[in-house]
Amino acid sequence: MSDWTGILELDAQKNQYGKTITKNVFFQGAFKVMRPVYHNRSNQPCYYLLNPGGGYLDGDTYRMRITVGEQAMVTLTTQSATKVYRTPTKHAYQEAEIFLQVGSHLQYLPDPLIAYKGASYYQKTIFRMDKGASLLYTDILTPGWSPDGEAFSYDSIRLKTEVYLENELIVFDHIHLNPHEKPMDSIGVMEGYTHLGSFLIVSEQSDVELEEKLVEVINDQSGKFKVGISQLAKAGLSIRVMANTTQLIERIFADCHSLVNKEWFGTEPNPLRKY
Amino acid sequence: MNNQTLSLFQLCDSNFPTGAFSHSFGLETYIQNDLVHNAETFSNWLHVYLEEQLTYSDGLAARLVYDALDSGDYDRIWELDRLLTVQCLARETREGTHRMGVQMLKMAKKLYEAPMLAVYQECIKKNGAFGHPVIVFTIAGHFLKVDRDTTVLYYLYTSVINLVQNAVRAIPLGQTSGQQIIYSLQNNLIETVEKINLLDEEDLGVVSPGIELAQMQHERVHIRIFSS
Repeated sequence: MSDWTGILELDAQKNQYGKTITKNVFFQGAFKVMRPVYHNRSNQPCYYLLNPGGGYLDGDTYRMRITVGEQAMVTLTTQSATKVYRTPTKHAYQEAEIFLQVGSHLQYLPDPLIAYKGASYYQKTIFRMDKGASLLYTDILTPGWSPDGEAFSYDSIRLKTEVYLENELIVFDHIHLNPHEKPMDSIGVMEGYTHLGSFLIVSEQSDVELEEKLVEVINDQSGKFKVGISQLAKAGLSIRVMANTTQLIERIFADCHSLVNKEWFGTEPNPLRKY
Repeated sequence: MNNQTLSLFQLCDSNFPTGAFSHSFGLETYIQNDLVHNAETFSNWLHVYLEEQLTYSDGLAARLVYDALDSGDYDRIWELDRLLTVQCLARETREGTHRMGVQMLKMAKKLYEAPMLAVYQECIKKNGAFGHPVIVFTIAGHFLKVDRDTTVLYYLYTSVINLVQNAVRAIPLGQTSGQQIIYSLQNNLIETVEKINLLDEEDLGVVSPGIELAQMQHERVHIRIFSS
């Protein structure tokens, strides 16, 4: 047994018929991936990650290594929200290292994170992309869960995301919310909103035109939210949304995702069909 | 105050030509949305900007760059240059900071004979470094043998006074209340340096979600007097 609470390794590659298949899969402990589903008989597998324990506990450590082979296309999601329970002694930790080989495409769309009262969570996600690879990555932070319904009762959430394109760091995103140390509703922090969504779009094909189209999609949305979209230092865009429900952020991201898919592949994204 | 400190002080002048007067770093979005409209609301915003945004990015970076200069670990400086730049997801703020960095470097090189400034410039030209004002400033402070805490403090001070000057023009505020805000921040600036000294390297680059979003939104603010 290793020291990790859960380990997961997955390699997918494109076969001679143009279909992306599992080349290698290994998991151990409290981490699991289900047999992929090919929605709408596409060539693109959708893998569902799951945590058989139902959530992350005190001091849990999870490691995930995923490789999307040359020209392969993969969707990766979770079966349900990631729940982090109370961590009285040590934060729960998840690290993911994800390799996107030449010309590959990954959409990594995990469900929202729900940190319970007294929970601390640290997540480190590193994408290593080769030339011509493209990535769509979303993340949604909820205000967590507590028995009395109080928002932001968790201790700390820290998310670090790094994207390397051909070995060069092009994105470093570091979110750290520690509600006991700073008022979340303050100006400059969450400003009265409860949910924070991030959407990273990385591809050399991404340009100002795509950004303008995404702005239109976002401007068509109704509801109470605040959104920013901007070009990365290189090869991509990021979108940040503050809102008061997961659903609203998911809807905005789904519409953005749909636009990107149409622009890049001429198709609608497959629905994730979880429930 | 000795000559050395006085020399670094020159870099802190809000008239020092770095172009800081044309950057609000998202403040203008708050002004347009009427969330910052007087001395009190501006002061609240400035506190968060100092205690969150500046603390974890430029402030901590100043400390780390100073240490790297002490130990001669130059690769660490180039690494911090990249981390700070790509960490800023708002294009205008990133590009504005970059322009200020390059401008400050150019001026600083004409004033101080600090070899590291030339090395940094070379690295920007050839090896993919971007150019960031906090790195230039810290190189200058280190070269002038101003101690680390003072260098960090002066950098924070100059960032804050530039924003106050810009707020005075944009909100607008009276010159007197601008100066009062600067004066009232003295203890916060010193406390911020103490807080930065207690941070872990791992804390670098934490974003303040609202400030970052406002910096991104600034690209689409219609009537603007600032370029970020």
